[in-house]
Amino acid sequence: MPATDHNQGSFLNRISIRRSQFAAVDHIHDQEVVDLDLFQRHVSDRFSLLLSPSTTTTTTDSHETHQTHPPPPKIISISWLRNLLDAFLCCEAEFKTVLVSGRDPAQFSRPPLDRLVPDLLERSVKALDVCNAVTHGVDVIQHWHKLASIAVTSLRQNPVGEGQVRRAKKALTTLLTLMVSDDNKENNANTTTTNNAHATKWADRTRSFSRRGAAITTAAANNKERPSGKNFRSLSWSVSKSWSAAKQIQTMSANLVAPRGAESTGLAQPVYIMNTLIVFIMWALVAAIPCQERNGLPTHFQNIPRNLGWAQPLIGLQEKIGEEWKKKEKKGTAGLLEELKEMEKVANSLLEFADGFEFPMEEEKAAAMAVKVAEMGEICRRMEEGLGPLNQQIREVFHRIVKSRAEVLDVLDHIQVCKHSAPLPY
Amino acid sequence: MEKAHNSFNKNGHIPTSPRNIPPPAVSNDDASDNHLHHYTADEANRISEDVDRFISVISAIDDKSSSSLPEVPDFIKTYSEIIESRITRSRKNVAGDDDDELFFIESVRRISRLTNALSEFSSDARVTPPLNQTSVALQRAMVFLEEEFRSLLEDSTSEWDPQNAQNIQKFSSFNSKSQQEYSDRCAAQREIDTAHSSSVEYPAYSPEDVDKMHEIATTMISAGYETECCQVYYISRRNAIRNQMNKLELEVLLNMDDVVRMPWETLEAEIARWINVVKTCSETIFPGEKRLGEWVFNDHPEIRRSLISNILRAVVIQLLDFAEATSMAKRSADKLFRYLDMYDALQKLIGSISGESYSDELTAEVTAAVDRIGESAVCIFCDLENSIKSDAAKVPVPGGAVHPLTRYMMNYLKYTCEYKDTLESIFAKHTEPDKKYTPPPPPTTTTTASLSSNDLERESDSPHNFETVASTTPFSMQVVMVMDLLDANLEQKSRLYKDPSLRCVFLMNNGRYILQKVKGSPEIRQVMGDIWCRRRSTVVRQYHKNYQRETWNRVLQCLSHDGLLVNGKANKPLLKERFKIFTNTFDEIHRTQSAWMVSDEQLQSELRISVSAVVIPAYRSFVGRFRQYLDSGKQADKYIKYQPEDIETLIEGLFEGSITSMARRKT
Repeated sequence: MPATDHNQGSFLNRISIRRSQFAAVDHIHDQEVVDLDLFQRHVSDRFSLLLSPSTTTTTTDSHETHQTHPPPPKIISISWLRNLLDAFLCCEAEFKTVLVSGRDPAQFSRPPLDRLVPDLLERSVKALDVCNAVTHGVDVIQHWHKLASIAVTSLRQNPVGEGQVRRAKKALTTLLTLMVSDDNKENNANTTTTNNAHATKWADRTRSFSRRGAAITTAAANNKERPSGKNFRSLSWSVSKSWSAAKQIQTMSANLVAPRGAESTGLAQPVYIMNTLIVFIMWALVAAIPCQERNGLPTHFQNIPRNLGWAQPLIGLQEKIGEEWKKKEKKGTAGLLEELKEMEKVANSLLEFADGFEFPMEEEKAAAMAVKVAEMGEICRRMEEGLGPLNQQIREVFHRIVKSRAEVLDVLDHIQVCKHSAPLPY
Repeated sequence: MEKAHNSFNKNGHIPTSPRNIPPPAVSNDDASDNHLHHYTADEANRISEDVDRFISVISAIDDKSSSSLPEVPDFIKTYSEIIESRITRSRKNVAGDDDDELFFIESVRRISRLTNALSEFSSDARVTPPLNQTSVALQRAMVFLEEEFRSLLEDSTSEWDPQNAQNIQKFSSFNSKSQQEYSDRCAAQREIDTAHSSSVEYPAYSPEDVDKMHEIATTMISAGYETECCQVYYISRRNAIRNQMNKLELEVLLNMDDVVRMPWETLEAEIARWINVVKTCSETIFPGEKRLGEWVFNDHPEIRRSLISNILRAVVIQLLDFAEATSMAKRSADKLFRYLDMYDALQKLIGSISGESYSDELTAEVTAAVDRIGESAVCIFCDLENSIKSDAAKVPVPGGAVHPLTRYMMNYLKYTCEYKDTLESIFAKHTEPDKKYTPPPPPTTTTTASLSSNDLERESDSPHNFETVASTTPFSMQVVMVMDLLDANLEQKSRLYKDPSLRCVFLMNNGRYILQKVKGSPEIRQVMGDIWCRRRSTVVRQYHKNYQRETWNRVLQCLSHDGLLVNGKANKPLLKERFKIFTNTFDEIHRTQSAWMVSDEQLQSELRISVSAVVIPAYRSFVGRFRQYLDSGKQADKYIKYQPEDIETLIEGLFEGSITSMARRKT
């Protein structure tokens, strides 16, 4: 993790350098400079915590100190995503204060804000569609979670008989096939060629399920192109068929240029930070959670310039998620989300147990299976506890973006009213 | 055919003799299934009774350790086989009658109870083989029921096909903003309201099927297969709603990004479509889903509540997203009515989801969206203030006619007041209660001064003195403020006219138009009140008087008899001069004022009558008195261009607003 190492040393230095700079700053712009600087520092702090949660103790941020979560959540796990969204919401609130509070509204009609603010607003509307797609993705995961929990309930019974094993097997095959077909469906929406290796891998796996004899998977494999096969039901995506999460991210990150020259010290900087954060958060959500059409996602978020201090943790996270994505592509697994990765793995081994099951079960095997069942139970527990709140948080992000947009627009409208009001169309 | 089976006595002693049954007879319709056979109903019933007895025996045992368990009889195995054979038969589409189905459901419940009872003794090695067998039978039965459940839910004949789809189509085509269609829209809406209330059932399952679903759900849940059952139900219903919407062409699948940048014409059509969707949801689909859920999960209120709220949630959130996106779009005056339609539609939606506290969170979401739309509506309406204030024209309307602004604003207010109840509630919610109404400075001061301030009754300076308004809700205050601003703006526009008479005609025209509009719409009239109308009439009359004074006083002056007769002798040159002046003045007035425009027929005729009433008697008497002093014949014709009758005809030509007509008349 080169990014982490790089980050830790320079991070504290940077703060001290900045601090020493304050003294020299002209007092008139003092407050603004302090605000801008604090904002950058807080962004950096919050995302450093997400990159390497072990540094929790050194943070000075009062918001974080009262949180004493024992083991830091694994990266791209449900709890980690929740922390990510929390961090985003905090940064967003602070940004709004920096941008709007106490500012002469007239400044919004002058460069650079006259150009930057509308650009930001437009980008944030695009984020709303991503929020919706991700919300639907979480719904899909909820459905998968239910299937996994059927297997857990069934295999936890004592003794495990053929009936229980068949029940679990049915749930698990459905689960694994859905993980395949839902993920494939998203990709098939637009292209089938770009990700050929990936798709073939899925097809193989689907076929291997059917060899195991479960009638249901045969149906599924035959109906792979048609997700509404006889015994197979999954939720239809709640976005229009042509919509692509990857393309949306691509459009969002287009024209995202770091301020240069004189602009880089002024208000252009926090606006750029906010833009970057929005794109980053949406990108990370889409990567973690199944969404319609995610082909080529990692390349769609352009690199953040490495010379920006506050961006170091973000760059680190970007690299990590990018690596995980590559692994996913290679293995053809369902998601980056930690819980999904684990779920898929455990589901496969449980399915192996089920295939080799003979009544009565040998104690040794039973014990080994019980371990796996417990693992699956733990994953289910985490999903049970985390998915609902995660969905609410995504909704909160959605509402926050809507609200902030309205607030900024109100300020802009106010300027407009002073100048000229909308003419009446008579 | 006789089939032996084990029986056990009620003391709990269970014979251990092995099953010594002959191979079961293979029925013709199930020839391929050679290791299972059909049990007759009698046999099956007898075994069922045995199983029931066995369950009650072992359930009654307090000590669940292995020692206290009696032998597990062989009929347990037989019973499992009966169930499996029944499933096999059903799979092959051998239709059973209703009794058969009932028996099957009963059997599944029994084997589920048996499995539960047995598993209490799972530490006993003797139990595991039969338990294994019952669990397999139970699992097969559950898979079968799950499929049954799904196929019942997805039964294509159950798709709701309303006869009134035409009405819905018709409604959805109302998306133009032309005024006529706004009122048509209301009519169409009423039509649909009645069509909907006629009993079109959704979802259209037969009562038998719903009963079956209820039986299956109850059985699955009691057997511990709640998750499977709920998943099937949830996905089937969600997809069914989606299909339903597709069928009615009501699918709303728009990205917020697209909605925000959509041109208003397109968006307006989408909003009309969306309102249809919301109506269909709140009037048909949601109540239907609730009803179905209540029937199927009658015995499990908790499960029902969470299922229904999840199903509704997915649909509602999508509907709300569109509303959010719409309220984000750029605001402008002509969007108000669509926003209000959306507001009303969402209010009804809240009613359809909130009922049994299915989801407080969901209700909160809808309420938040409603509030946002409401805020947008308030903003748009309040924005009128600024729009009116900044509406500054440089060129006066020709002929002092009704200004387009007046027409626009009055029509706008008329439609606004048709949404009075909605707006009252929005304003009550979204404006600060302490917002005090401060009337703008009296706008008429300048004109009043330039005319004759003494003639204007003080109280009618502005008809909008706040006490004159009927109601003082935040909304009506806003309407009054808009009216006042309109007055102030018209006052300003009147100053573009150099001619004070024309200025009066302009103010009279516009004032009259406003008054007629208010009188013609019960809703605005209710807001403004009768006192306001009376004062407004007074103001218009005042403009009328002022006009008459401005234009006709000087005419009357030259018809004055004063100084024309000195000691009974006429001052001929002066008389000739007077006739000449009169003719010239009158000609000039006629020429200009025929081009002036009074389009309100009643006002036009009132004006002409009042002018005639003043001018003609004066002229008639003037001519009658002084004509004799002019040399008869030639001279009289030379100086008296018009007979009083001619004057009357010419006055009839005033305020025609047409230069050509006047020109023609003159030649």
